[in-house]
Amino acid sequence: MLFFSFFKTLIDNQVTVELKNDIQIRGTLKSVDQYLNIKLDNIEVVDDIKYPHLSSVKNVFIRGSVVRYVHLPHNAVDVTLLEDATRREAANQAAKAK
Amino acid sequence: MSEGEEGPASEPLDLVRLCLNEEVYVKLRGDRELKGRLHAYDSHMNLVLSDVEETIYVVDDEENDEGDEKIRVEDDQEIKSVTKKSEMLFVRGDSVVLVSPIEKS
Amino acid sequence: MMENLTLNDPPPPGPQSGGPMPPVLGGRAPPLPPQPQQLPPQMFTTAAQLLDLTDKKLLICLRDGRKLTGILRSWDQFANLVLQSTVERIYATLPGAKESSALKGYYADKPHGIFLVRGENVLLLGEIDLDKDDESPLGFEQAELEKVEKLAKERKVVEKAKEKNKLKQLATLGFEGEASGEIFL
Repeated sequence: MLFFSFFKTLIDNQVTVELKNDIQIRGTLKSVDQYLNIKLDNIEVVDDIKYPHLSSVKNVFIRGSVVRYVHLPHNAVDVTLLEDATRREAANQAAKAK
Repeated sequence: MSEGEEGPASEPLDLVRLCLNEEVYVKLRGDRELKGRLHAYDSHMNLVLSDVEETIYVVDDEENDEGDEKIRVEDDQEIKSVTKKSEMLFVRGDSVVLVSPIEKS
Repeated sequence: MMENLTLNDPPPPGPQSGGPMPPVLGGRAPPLPPQPQQLPPQMFTTAAQLLDLTDKKLLICLRDGRKLTGILRSWDQFANLVLQSTVERIYATLPGAKESSALKGYYADKPHGIFLVRGENVLLLGEIDLDKDDESPLGFEQAELEKVEKLAKERKVVEKAKEKNKLKQLATLGFEGEASGEIFL
């Protein structure tokens, strides 16, 4: 759930989602769910000449499993908070495994 | 099993925990490598890295002349590498092949 | 509501959401009694995300590279989809087409009717802006289906050979393709 919570804090930020088929889609992060499916608004395809089929699309639902990266704005991420949350999640997982 | 947060490295992901806020090398599926500072991971090996340098390996073919900008070519007979930067990057765990700490010199 | 979200928040108490959902894992409660965990608020579920798209004309990109348009009539938490008036749009890029070429390729539409698409084959869904729907994609011209299908088939053979060579080369560096055997796009 760590990354689900993390992405919820990034709602309304501009992100670029890079898919495993190399398409990069930039847009405003509007929603995320537990599978890390992502919804973007006002999208723009980074290399739109190569991928013409999205030209009339305004918002997308991207299946989490096809995502390779999400490029994020540095200033939207509090790295200290994120590291703390990661350690806490790891401790939780370890406790649960016992 | 490890007690609390800074326990011994007793299972594979504990190694990753010890890399938090350190530089790491990540090898990915799809002919890619990353170097960056690790800020988060989970049990799927989803990662968040900052100040990332991505290296992509591509096989040279004649009619492929896409995007010359910010591409550095290391001349090798057939395989080229392309590097890209990203300030903050979420990496989905299912692409990750390995994570390795970068030794500080 | 968003300003309250931090990485530390427990999921805010919300109504039990309508869709059937697997139990939420990895809560932060101390690991004492396994208590029933609260589901995240409705808006952060797959169901909520797809609800907005229901009964709209969508573009669906599949894992094998097919592009469908259709009206979304039904779905579930796996993103299995039922589409009405499904049309497959086939693109064929001309050999040697450059980014600067005025004509990069052709496309054609192939009507299919009702489709149920299994969720794992879905790459993405996009809501089509009906104002722009009638415009041809930049650099592509509509042509007869037969011609486009033939051209697309030829391109696919070339791409496949290229991909095979690439995998072979990169294997020497210890790399493995992302989705061996599959062609995206």
